[in-house]
Amino acid sequence: MPDLIGAYRPISGIPDEMVAPDGSVRPGWIALMSALDAMGAEERISRFQHADQYLLDAGVFYRMYEGNGQGERDWPLAHIPLLISDTEWQHIETGLTQRADLLEQVIADIYSDNTFIREGLLPPELVAENPAFLRPLAGVRPMSGYHLHFCAFELGRGPDGRWWVLGDRTQAPSGAGFALENRVATTRAFSDIYSSLHVHRLASFFRDFRDSLTEMGGSGGGRVAILTPGPLNETYFEHAYIARYLGFLLVQGEDLVVVNGEVMVRTVSGLKPISVLWRRLDGDFTDPLELRQESHIGTPGLVEAVRRGTVGFVNSLGAGILETRALGAFLPAIAQARLGTDLLLPNIATWWCGSQQARDYVFQNIDTMLVGSALSNLLAIDDSQGTLDAGRLSEADREDLLARIEANPGAYVAQEAVSLSTAPVHMDGALEPRPVTLRVYAARTPQGWSIMPGGFARIGHSLDTSAIAMQRGGYAADVWVVSDKPVEQVSLLSTGKKTIERNPSGNLPSRAGDNLIWLGRYAERCEATVRILRAYHLRLAELGHSDTPLLEATRKYIEPAGVDTSEAVPDGLLAIIDGAVRSASEIRDRFSPDGWLALTDLQKTARRFKRTIKPGDDATRAMTVLLRKLAGFSGLVHENMYRFAGWRFLEIGRRLERGIQIAEIATWLCDPAAPDGAVEMLLEIGDSVMTHRRRYGYGHGKFGAIELLITDPLNPRSVMFQLTELLEQLKQLPRGYTDGQLSSPAKAALRLQTELAVIEAESVTMSMLVNAASGLAGISDLIAETYF
Amino acid sequence: MRYDIRLKLEYAYDAPVSGGRHLVRVFPITLPGIQRVIASSLDLAPQPTEHSEFADFFGSRVVSLTYRQPHDKLEIAMAARVEVTRRDATIDFSPDLAGLSAQLAANWDMSATAPHHYTGPSPRISIDPAITEYARQSLSNTRTVKEAANDLCLRIHEDFAYDGDATLVDTPVAEAFSLRRGVCQDFAHIMIAGLRGLGIPAGYVSGFLRTIPPEGKPRLEGADAMHAWVKVWCGEEAGWIEFDPTNAIRAGQDHIVIGYGRDYSDVAPIVGVLRSAGGHEASQAVDVLEVA
Repeated sequence: MPDLIGAYRPISGIPDEMVAPDGSVRPGWIALMSALDAMGAEERISRFQHADQYLLDAGVFYRMYEGNGQGERDWPLAHIPLLISDTEWQHIETGLTQRADLLEQVIADIYSDNTFIREGLLPPELVAENPAFLRPLAGVRPMSGYHLHFCAFELGRGPDGRWWVLGDRTQAPSGAGFALENRVATTRAFSDIYSSLHVHRLASFFRDFRDSLTEMGGSGGGRVAILTPGPLNETYFEHAYIARYLGFLLVQGEDLVVVNGEVMVRTVSGLKPISVLWRRLDGDFTDPLELRQESHIGTPGLVEAVRRGTVGFVNSLGAGILETRALGAFLPAIAQARLGTDLLLPNIATWWCGSQQARDYVFQNIDTMLVGSALSNLLAIDDSQGTLDAGRLSEADREDLLARIEANPGAYVAQEAVSLSTAPVHMDGALEPRPVTLRVYAARTPQGWSIMPGGFARIGHSLDTSAIAMQRGGYAADVWVVSDKPVEQVSLLSTGKKTIERNPSGNLPSRAGDNLIWLGRYAERCEATVRILRAYHLRLAELGHSDTPLLEATRKYIEPAGVDTSEAVPDGLLAIIDGAVRSASEIRDRFSPDGWLALTDLQKTARRFKRTIKPGDDATRAMTVLLRKLAGFSGLVHENMYRFAGWRFLEIGRRLERGIQIAEIATWLCDPAAPDGAVEMLLEIGDSVMTHRRRYGYGHGKFGAIELLITDPLNPRSVMFQLTELLEQLKQLPRGYTDGQLSSPAKAALRLQTELAVIEAESVTMSMLVNAASGLAGISDLIAETYF
Repeated sequence: MRYDIRLKLEYAYDAPVSGGRHLVRVFPITLPGIQRVIASSLDLAPQPTEHSEFADFFGSRVVSLTYRQPHDKLEIAMAARVEVTRRDATIDFSPDLAGLSAQLAANWDMSATAPHHYTGPSPRISIDPAITEYARQSLSNTRTVKEAANDLCLRIHEDFAYDGDATLVDTPVAEAFSLRRGVCQDFAHIMIAGLRGLGIPAGYVSGFLRTIPPEGKPRLEGADAMHAWVKVWCGEEAGWIEFDPTNAIRAGQDHIVIGYGRDYSDVAPIVGVLRSAGGHEASQAVDVLEVA
């Protein structure tokens, strides 16, 4: 027996996932623990860190809503996976398949004939008073014929050793993407152990579901898209991750428009049809016209499209009503009535106080009950605000609760308070038992329900069952379903097909294009600002004071943009970086994790510098560090991003901004009143000192600089160079250059380029440069008009 | 009684809107035993890009309009001829409150006319303890649910001042209640909230009201109005009975129904999503003329 297990002390009377009640160790655990034992404490910690580093690098985070404001929390991985034998898993699979089928019957009935209510199997008020019952969808048959396509189930093992369903998640279940990331992180840390145990793979589950959704879209050419509420949602990371992993479009409500009853996505190549929406927002937020009128994240007309049967939702709008806690009280009888059998995986014992008999039972056994709102869609363990553990209430509070139930019985539901089984977590070098729940996913495929062989486990940070919620410090663990035989190895990439199917390019949503341009612009604006600040602080350090005409002119130039030179890292610079991160966060699905990491690293470094760096010499060096990090970001984007339209928009943003920045600051060159040293400083900002010296020696200082920074077509820092690149990219965009016709932004770029191309350096005037800068800004507007 | 009804809704936008999508509920509907629509038509300016119709959950006739061209005003003109056949039941078949809750518990209907849709909170109406207490006073001197509803209807008329400037279309019910003033929409919402608080199912009725000019005065053009009143479930036998707290009467020959809902949000004359920067001016004119 490995030492780790030997020292492990499960809590008596509570089942444990590693150690069976008879003291024997469940299958798989010995191999895992022996391996962990053998590597020693130091190696173990370093492996855990390896997993954490992966998650950090991949940018996995979870958004917190608690307290004042909100923040991102690193994904709280409990490093040791939860092992479940595949014979036990078989039971879970069969049970959940049966349960998902029954739930489909219930939801289909609620939105059609209401036979369950007429037969007395379901009380009418649970539906009619339920805000999750979406009346505009009553009587509407879903396009696919099914309401449910993707469900999650929260399971817990009770004191009797059986698995119970703590809650059904049908609205917009989250976490499947996190399960994948858990798996990747855990296997990075324990690749040797993982491959020696026969662990069922997750990829085939996702592959099958992806294919099912594509098939559901039909042959009409309509695409599948994931509909997200946007980057402020707590699980936005996952939406972007799944979209990237499965190759689906990620859209927000404002990207969609309903035309003649059909859903279209606004892309840079015009409107494209969408026929399946995998929604990650609550159904009532999807259409401000027919559903929740105050929703700002919906698309008017979506319900009309559903009514016409032109779009299918995963899951159907209105399916969230199945999450109603009181429904659990009626599922056993519904199963008996419809299936003629008990549920293989029953939900935790539930009583709806609206029925006299149930209420009497609850009152007699109140000490063992969790009491909450009948229509709540939260799991009791996740609902610290609304659910009371009656056994822990004071005498007076309990009497008060009973009086409230008596006054409005239909509003309350009670569930048996059960202790959950424990699983080992690694704490301070040893294993400790902690309560655990399991989240399991089911996806509809043409062959029936497919159950993800794994999922993820939530583990409490203390022995208190209510501390399991991740919002309150709980952990997440990978779940390994282990077999005693080798398992099928699969990846998402199929190998069997003869012909290559390509996703069409040019389906870049307009909003994504807009954000890519702004990302490019912010990144470039950041570079220009950092270069100016570096040149400023270098001179400040040399002189020891800032009282020179050149530095004063620099301050005058840069301070209106909110960049205060008295600070080494001004707020204005941080705001520019934040702008870049904000734009990037809107398009996480189109962005490599490395690019994202480079950008957030820049943000973190700048914020750290803000606290530590002093103006002058110190700041000069800090700006050099920031420049290097920016170059890293640009390099990743330039070298690694496929030349889809997305990259072009990013590039266009960079060229526009660089052109504007250089043209604006270079007006100094044409100003007879420019301060001493301006030419040298500009060449430095324009990164062209060496070229200037090589080409012009020490003569022609000013005109050489004008030529180099303005009209030279070969200097990647010149205005001319930006215009040439810009024109090239604009031509390559959809409708950029068709049948010999240039798009209006391309025409504008050609006009500006031609004006500069025919001019000698000596005749460049300030007003020409001002015109060039405003001309570039005008192109930005033309792009927005044409493509967004 | 036959009426010709004309409604004109006009919206003038501060700045041209680039498009928009609206759901319009302005047509009267045929309701057996209450009213019959003989003919109806709708004129729109400008012409919408898309135009379709459907019946919503509660049976209202909904016109869906989509504009994709820029426009700076929207005019909706509805005309209908309706025969009103409503008779007021003289005998009170309704039970007392306890009898009503027993009947409600034994009712397993989920159709649009089922009382269960009208018992709980709805988007615009929450159960408010103060309003419930106010409504409860109507139980003390009455025996049946119908009497109680009638009493509440009269009391709201008595205790509240009609004041078109006191509230806006989205003023919360609790606020109108504490102001003790408002318009037909506020009075209907207050009465509904009070009845639901007592456990009596109650819904919102949107419609038209014919106004009769004072003796010897000519009828003024456009003087009628869109109106709102309340329907109350008075038990299995008595069914739904409609009360008009603004006028302290039961709905009668002068009330023409557009539709029913849990509150204003279910039957608002126009719900819209505009792509616009500025605000807008709205006006409405209604004529309800008796046809000889």
